[in-house]
Amino acid sequence: MMDSDQAVAEVAPFRAKRVVAPPVSNAAPDAQYWSIQMSAVSAQRDRASFMRIYDHFAPRLQRYLRNLGVPESMADELVQEALLTLWRKAAMFDPARASLATWLYRVARNLYIDHVRRQPHWLPIQEGLDRIDHVESARLDSQPESSFDQDILKQAIDRLPPVQAKLVRMCYLESKSHSEISAELQMPLGSVKSSLRRAFAKLQVSMRAPR
Amino acid sequence: MTPNHHLDDATVLSYSAGALPAALAVVASVHLERCAACRTRLLDADQIGGVLLQQQRVDTPAEDARAAMLVLLDAEPAVEPPAPPADIVEEHDPDRLPSALHPWFGNSMRALRWRRVAPGVQRILASGIGGGDLMLLRIAPGSKLPLHSHGGNELTMILDGAYDDMLGHFGPGDVADLDGETNHQPVTSPGVPCICVAATDAPLVFSGWVARTLQPLFGF
Ligand SMILES: [Zn+2]
Repeated sequence: MMDSDQAVAEVAPFRAKRVVAPPVSNAAPDAQYWSIQMSAVSAQRDRASFMRIYDHFAPRLQRYLRNLGVPESMADELVQEALLTLWRKAAMFDPARASLATWLYRVARNLYIDHVRRQPHWLPIQEGLDRIDHVESARLDSQPESSFDQDILKQAIDRLPPVQAKLVRMCYLESKSHSEISAELQMPLGSVKSSLRRAFAKLQVSMRAPR
Repeated sequence: MTPNHHLDDATVLSYSAGALPAALAVVASVHLERCAACRTRLLDADQIGGVLLQQQRVDTPAEDARAAMLVLLDAEPAVEPPAPPADIVEEHDPDRLPSALHPWFGNSMRALRWRRVAPGVQRILASGIGGGDLMLLRIAPGSKLPLHSHGGNELTMILDGAYDDMLGHFGPGDVADLDGETNHQPVTSPGVPCICVAATDAPLVFSGWVARTLQPLFGF
């Protein structure tokens, strides 16, 4: 899709030499690829790696926020804010727990709830939950191995029955509450919730599937 | 203590999606703060968000946006700011309210200013939350609440004391995550008052003659 190494090298040639990332192949970058970029960002403050993450995720974050109805200029600002958060907190990223896509999804969602939905207490609460999780995983002897494969989950999402797929998208990509979905689709609230439950159960099975 | 009654899967999904009405999200957060099982399910739900983010169809970023990002990086301090000190929480301080409630009710159980709304029932309503109603309820021990069903979603978490209804026994940390199809009649346990935090996203619909009795209780 994109190979921005050259552009980055022009901006920061002395840093480009230290890039530890593997050569970019034609295949879509996987979770391990992003994990390597993240270690370069956190350990060496490597801008080339950062810009690879930027080139891939900034447009996606932008599209996600625009779909939620965020005005373009604010979406631009929130995307920058999300990527700056990544730059500052790269050391907090734990690939054993979640993929980079998931980590950035959380950051963007939190910014959306804070700035657009104006729930000023959401961010500190999420930081609190993060801290609890960090304390907990530090206490465990061995990191739980992430048995989760994004491709399998992606396929499972694509295989959801149409109604369940629609409800999941209305939740995540339009940020609609159960009651709003119920009103919009003229579907009883109980049916909205049970469809979402069934969809979640299926997707969870796919996340636990042996590789 | 590990809770026995948890958030509904549909609630976890909406919480992750940022789609839960604000009042319900506060109660869900209170439960998540003390329930590792629900935090694990929340991570699953976040992974779905991550994949949906990946699937967004997009163009290559504009050169000027990339340049603007690099300018912002230049402005960042070279050394990472130190992480904020971890919140020191006295684990077993019975007076301390869960942190997700502090913005709405302060941090001390003792300092709460209850208002009687029905015999044996006291309440504090959070103001200005938008997106549903959030309240603390204090119900005298051994009380039988009138039979009621719910017009929308209702999420309740016990902070102290306990109650029983057709769904089982609910003690501290347990949540009742109910929708319009549940018709229940909680009976609080003897001994101490049952204190819980409750949120609704729609006015409660009461069955039969009890409607008038409960109107002052829930403020409709
Ligand atoms: Zn739970």
